[in-house]
Amino acid sequence: MLRGGVTPMHGYPLDALTYMTLKPKKETPMRVRLGLACLLLAALPGTVGAQTSDAASQAELIKSLAARIEQLEKRIAELEAPGTLTRTSTNVTREVPAAAAAPLSPRAAIEAIHGEHGDPAGTDVQEYPSLKLAGFTDLNFSGTNQPGAKSGFTEGQFILHLNSALSRKVNFFGEMSFTARPDAGTGAPAVTGFNAEVERSIVRLDYNDYFKLSFGRYHTPINYWNTAYHHGQWLQTTVSRPEMIQFGGRLLPVHFVGALVEGAVPASGLNLHYNFGVGNGRGNVISRGGDAGDNNNNRAWLINTFVKPDALFGLQIGGSVYRDKVTPAAGLDFHEWITSAHVVWSKEDPEVIAEFANVRHTQFDRPSVVSNSQAWYTQVGYRLPLGPRLWKPYYRFEYIHIPRSDSVFRGIPTLAGSVVGLRYDLSTFTAIKFEYRSQRRAPGQPQINSGFVQTSFTF
Amino acid sequence: MHRLKTLLLLMLLLVGVPRLTLASDIAVVANADVPVNNLSLAELRKLVLGDRQFWRSDLRVSLLIRAPNARERNIVLNRICQMTEAQFRQYWIGKVFRAESPVGPKTVYSSDMAISMASTIPGSLTFVDAANVPKGLKVIRIEGFLPGERDYPLNKE
Repeated sequence: MLRGGVTPMHGYPLDALTYMTLKPKKETPMRVRLGLACLLLAALPGTVGAQTSDAASQAELIKSLAARIEQLEKRIAELEAPGTLTRTSTNVTREVPAAAAAPLSPRAAIEAIHGEHGDPAGTDVQEYPSLKLAGFTDLNFSGTNQPGAKSGFTEGQFILHLNSALSRKVNFFGEMSFTARPDAGTGAPAVTGFNAEVERSIVRLDYNDYFKLSFGRYHTPINYWNTAYHHGQWLQTTVSRPEMIQFGGRLLPVHFVGALVEGAVPASGLNLHYNFGVGNGRGNVISRGGDAGDNNNNRAWLINTFVKPDALFGLQIGGSVYRDKVTPAAGLDFHEWITSAHVVWSKEDPEVIAEFANVRHTQFDRPSVVSNSQAWYTQVGYRLPLGPRLWKPYYRFEYIHIPRSDSVFRGIPTLAGSVVGLRYDLSTFTAIKFEYRSQRRAPGQPQINSGFVQTSFTF
Repeated sequence: MHRLKTLLLLMLLLVGVPRLTLASDIAVVANADVPVNNLSLAELRKLVLGDRQFWRSDLRVSLLIRAPNARERNIVLNRICQMTEAQFRQYWIGKVFRAESPVGPKTVYSSDMAISMASTIPGSLTFVDAANVPKGLKVIRIEGFLPGERDYPLNKE
């Protein structure tokens, strides 16, 4: 283009112009090209004078101009480098001009969106490991008529979620919680203000959709709530978890340490998902998994399957079995056999979650002593179609029955209770929930009524 | 002066014409190595919601979705996911938090960017206004239909 418009009338050898105009064949920004032209024009008067000088000084001038052009070309290359594009594309939401979005190399394309550390989506150009951090937390105010209980504010768990791609097919997932301690500052040395706990620590090979193999500490996948919301209060509709799967609860094993095989097959549109796991099972304190090792030589195992049919998008129906040998005290062993089922309609108009679990305990040396403890809940929510759909009223009924014959669960109270509440989404990532609970622990005992306000968010 | 004004007006019109073109169907565009030519709407939903993450064992799905408020994104959310913007975001935060997917969809900020990246990233899939799809790019049939055909599920209606 320039070559046609500028003739060698100023005494420039054609080669120099050719070099300048033809070498950068790729599209250069108009601003840079204008700058180059201005620079050339600014240099011209000097070179007119140079016409009268000797050939040696002319050659020197040409040399210096060529060096300058080379410098400018380098600058153009720098400006067109992927890092520059990253800043442009991630900070500006308006349309990027076509020239800026001209074909990029795979590396440049990845970096354009995710910066220099790339993205763990499994492309070969990614750098490993690539750690990402997210979090959840909540703040609560509660009041109750329960004798001895006090009203006031409480800090919810502070949750950090770590996610790192270790290779194209191997990923690490971690979840840490920091829980406020009521005995903070007491004792010698003084107890810290928060309890730190590794909730989940999973390394997983994603071979394909049908087969994924992982090792680590999980939330036991025999309960929908336990694996759908984990410790993310913001993710769940209500203020609290159902009591059957309460953190620190004993009814169902919340954590599982071991190995898990999982995957999904289309199954003619049913989309059959499965988990098969082998692990340590419950520890001496049965509300905890065997983090530091199994307390007996029997591994726990579990099978969990569920379907998500294409024809009824939003529906999930599943069931699980879990088998373990529980040793709550030395010399006292029980077979534990948990069966559970869930039905979920995950759309929010309405949202329905229903779960049931039966825990069967058989004493090892007295097989005739069998007990069955049951728990279930049903929760219904509905996102109101008002304006931007920020309001979501909900109701849950839950029930737990522990027979007296169940010596493993001795001390766990029975429960019949209702939860009614309203969730309001303050912003895309913040919610405020108002909840009223009415619970009766055992027939004949007084009804306990409580009120909660919670703000929960992700960051 | 009058001629200058007319000239300026003419230039403004010329610049504005491409912006005034009517919106067309949304094409599902994939990288050339994607071993699929046709998808049902349910299959497409599984891809967009991360329930299907592999085309084959050695090729991961890399989902590129336009930033919020883009027409392409709105159609994807309404017709495929049946979700609002907030629901879609919460869904993907939950998906990653549950360790079901190592990463959420990548956000692209223009059709050009979507096309450019879809043509370079292996296994990538994106959604582009059919009028902006350049020749030679792989366009996936949805329920057997291509953009512009009657009964195409991601039509402009």
